[in-house]
Amino acid sequence: MEQAYISEGTSIDKGENARLSSFVGAIAIADLIKTTLGPRGLDKILQKVDPSDQSITITNDGATILRSVHVDNAAAKVLVDIAKVQDEQVGDGTTSVAVFAGELLRQAENLVNNRIHPQTICDGWRLARETARRTLEEAATNSSEDTDAFRKELMEIAQTTLSSKMLTFEKAHYAKLAVDAVLRLKGSNNLDHIQVLKKPGGSLRDSYLEEGFLLDGKSPGVGQPRRIEKAKILLANTSMDTDKIKIYGSRVKVDSMDKVAAIEQAEKEKMRRKVEKIVGHGISCFINRQLIYNYPESLFASAGVMAIEHADFDGIERLAAVLGGEVVSTFDRPDLVTLGECDIIEEVMIGDDKVLRFGGCKSGEACSIVLRGASSHLLDEAERSLHDALAILIATVKEPRTVYGGGCTEVMMAAAVDRAAQETPGKKALAMTAFATALRQLPTIVADNGGYDAAELVTELQAAHAAGISCSGLDMDKGCIGDMKELGIRESFASKLNVVMSASEAAEMILRVDDIIKAAPRQRSEMGY
Amino acid sequence: MVSGETYNERSKGKDVRTSNIVAAKALANAIRTSLGPRGMDKLMQLEDGSVLISNDGATILSKMNVLHPAAKMLVELSQAQDVQAGDGTTTVVVLAGALLDSASVLLRKGLHPSAVAQYFLQAAETACDSLKKVARLVVADNREQLLHAVETCLSSKVVSQNTDLLAPIAVDSVLSLLANNNRTVDLRDIRLVEQVGGTVDDTELIRGLVLTKGSAKSGGPKRMEQAKIALIQYCLSAPKTDMDNQVVVSDYAAMDRILREERKYLLEQCKQIKKTGCNVLLIQKSILRDAYNELSLHFLAKMGILVVTDIERSDVDFICRTLHCQPIAHPDQLDANKLGHAELVEDVYMEGGNNTVVQFTGIANAGSTVTVLLRGSNDLVLAEASRSLHDAQCVVRCLVQEPALMAGGGAAESQAAMALREHARTLSGQDAYCLTAFADALEVIPYTLAENAGQNAIQTVTELRAQQAKGVVGAGIHVKTAQVEDMFAQNVVQPLMVTTSAIRLATETVAMILKIDDLIVVR
Repeated sequence: MEQAYISEGTSIDKGENARLSSFVGAIAIADLIKTTLGPRGLDKILQKVDPSDQSITITNDGATILRSVHVDNAAAKVLVDIAKVQDEQVGDGTTSVAVFAGELLRQAENLVNNRIHPQTICDGWRLARETARRTLEEAATNSSEDTDAFRKELMEIAQTTLSSKMLTFEKAHYAKLAVDAVLRLKGSNNLDHIQVLKKPGGSLRDSYLEEGFLLDGKSPGVGQPRRIEKAKILLANTSMDTDKIKIYGSRVKVDSMDKVAAIEQAEKEKMRRKVEKIVGHGISCFINRQLIYNYPESLFASAGVMAIEHADFDGIERLAAVLGGEVVSTFDRPDLVTLGECDIIEEVMIGDDKVLRFGGCKSGEACSIVLRGASSHLLDEAERSLHDALAILIATVKEPRTVYGGGCTEVMMAAAVDRAAQETPGKKALAMTAFATALRQLPTIVADNGGYDAAELVTELQAAHAAGISCSGLDMDKGCIGDMKELGIRESFASKLNVVMSASEAAEMILRVDDIIKAAPRQRSEMGY
Repeated sequence: MVSGETYNERSKGKDVRTSNIVAAKALANAIRTSLGPRGMDKLMQLEDGSVLISNDGATILSKMNVLHPAAKMLVELSQAQDVQAGDGTTTVVVLAGALLDSASVLLRKGLHPSAVAQYFLQAAETACDSLKKVARLVVADNREQLLHAVETCLSSKVVSQNTDLLAPIAVDSVLSLLANNNRTVDLRDIRLVEQVGGTVDDTELIRGLVLTKGSAKSGGPKRMEQAKIALIQYCLSAPKTDMDNQVVVSDYAAMDRILREERKYLLEQCKQIKKTGCNVLLIQKSILRDAYNELSLHFLAKMGILVVTDIERSDVDFICRTLHCQPIAHPDQLDANKLGHAELVEDVYMEGGNNTVVQFTGIANAGSTVTVLLRGSNDLVLAEASRSLHDAQCVVRCLVQEPALMAGGGAAESQAAMALREHARTLSGQDAYCLTAFADALEVIPYTLAENAGQNAIQTVTELRAQQAKGVVGAGIHVKTAQVEDMFAQNVVQPLMVTTSAIRLATETVAMILKIDDLIVVR
């Protein structure tokens, strides 16, 4: 019948079929990444199929995995999307959010099979969500007033985040790196000021925090100073090879060699004046995004100015932010130009490479984290993990409330939702119980991944919470119930709340679908391009 | 309560892990036979048909066309070791293979992969700490000790019979970088110039500069004493503007005039150069226009100036630091102060290679750069000699960075294994088990050394263990005498950093491979 009104190639899945397809897709995605959850979670290799680029990525990061996989299922795409949003908003908990949404839908599938209307399930979930949010807010603590205690909490959060990553073996070291870097920002929360530089070689433990900024692979020109103290820096994006008249087809006509030589001389003269203007800013260091050719380079050298060519775009923008200068391209009004400043510029060696260090920058928040490791895969993964840790720390500085990790809050929320369900008349209560079950699945999966008896552990955890020991959670080192306060397993409130809220909203959205209409792919012409 | 840890995983995770372990082990096995003084070389035929012979693990692996993801990780591992220590690139891969072997036994017993990974990393730390305790400290400038370490490194290379010559070159070249209290060693400050012809025996260390292109063949001098050297970055050819230009010739007379003018222009430029007192001229390559032309070379030859053309821009920095000169980018900047001075600049004909190089010697206030002129009868030998020399220089660099020596011949590994076993006895539980497995894996190094030398490996390794247990810290396999001896006494030593970095890097990679349970194909 549909064929009567839709165009050829369009397909429609209806009612039961549509819902089935959603459930299958979402649950498959959740199952794919759920083995990465928790401190004993395992990693995935992502291999590219493109014949020209068969590079591999090894990762534990949910967002990275989901971003890369081929997905051809509407519901699965929704899950991929919420993981992305979680990544952007709080940076961590990307796996949790997708897994929780998947578990909710698994529960919903049962309910729908038992002839409960999707809208009723949604109503129940909404009630459950509110209860969960209230419980979470009550459980959250805030110690941002006390600097030392807050720092300790930040350390704990960073360690908890890192414990599920490749860096888990060095988590204390990396947590310190991340916390130091974030605290330097003093609340400005600009991740741009934290530069992460990857250098193969050395071991993960050799990674360190460098105060100031590192410019990779650049060195001053021949005969120029290699070390400057109290530097004044001009950042520019200007052509320093030739300063051509940029009019198309411009050319000169002469009738003798002498005149050609004279014009060449004039061109050189123009360049010399440009360099003079630049030096006239009273600078000791000039950094250009474009090439600086021999002639200007030697002019800078004789003026005793350090000139650095070809700083990449990213590098120069960040330098501008860090040094407090601006990027200019004309040099006529030195009085209007803000120069960058720093205490020292010097060359340092990292492994086999030389980098240029800008120490004591104007914005004291800047720092660089130098990552070392055995292979580029390790370094890439280390960078992703560190990025997650930095993001979650910044989120915590913004929203300083924290909660206990290790499945503690999930079980607490589940218990509260269960209690609320008992007081709620009607079918909605069934949906609420399902919500609680889905919440309890998170610690179950974590325990499962650790190779422990998950059912046993999670029920023990429930009992502990029922007995009023509100800070008990999973101790994944020993495989038993532990005191999260003592173990220092802590998570950010914002991240946890976001997981519960956006996962349940996404699940609700998927559940309400009863038709999936796939538009016909646009016909490509046979001729190609 | 939970009845011990068990790991019941999906079959897929297990399959992926097994496949990774098998592939990585296969790769490690492929290069295992090149370990040690009696290790054999590998001949590789590259895609373009050329061949390469090498004993260097990093080189062999980088040329191999590996497809499997886990195998790729091992290739990167050997490169990381190359960057970190420069030597031990085969060792690190063999070690990783053995660790994976041990790990797969543990996994079969039902241990959790991430637990194995964690305990292995702990074991690596314990091993490195124990080695630090027994290592001998050296004074970085003690040439004697450095020489011994370099000799050990070179003994397993193709050029091992030239050790007497190459070892001092490696040590002296790196030590000369340390002049002026400089503590960072940048090996790029040592220029390796490879020239076919002669034998490796003709290799020499030149405290000066060698340029591979001979002086210009325009009838000028080929030898210059008391040279004053100028490096120019501008061009000695007909003027050319950055804008398009067109010279309009209206009649025959004008053509003559233009030719005359060009001549005059070039002569003027050459005279300017001569005026500074310069008698050796280096001209940087130019892509925008001709850096020189026949006419200018002719003038320069007439003025008695030795000319070397086609200097790469990337070499300018090195040349300037070596010759103590400054580049001259414009005729206006010509200045006698910017010239470098050398006692002698001369063309040296490379016998057998049919090539001429320019040597600069006796440089006034020379910088801390040196040049090694490598000779070899063919490209293959030359390339391998150059790689071996690089490894040897890395050994010296390691010792400058961390001045500690450990005995070679498998002594370090078996010492670490012993320390681990001892430590394991104080523990109970899975970690003790993993530590023992780790110790077993470490012994692959002495085992392979003995095996490659054609000895009864089990006999030798057990004897080694016995000696170590008696407290002979330096006990190792002396391949030449086929006996277990105190390697410190035999002067077979290697930098501690090579061993510790090999153990750490191999363990990190193994931990990473163990933690993988899925392979997903993505865009």
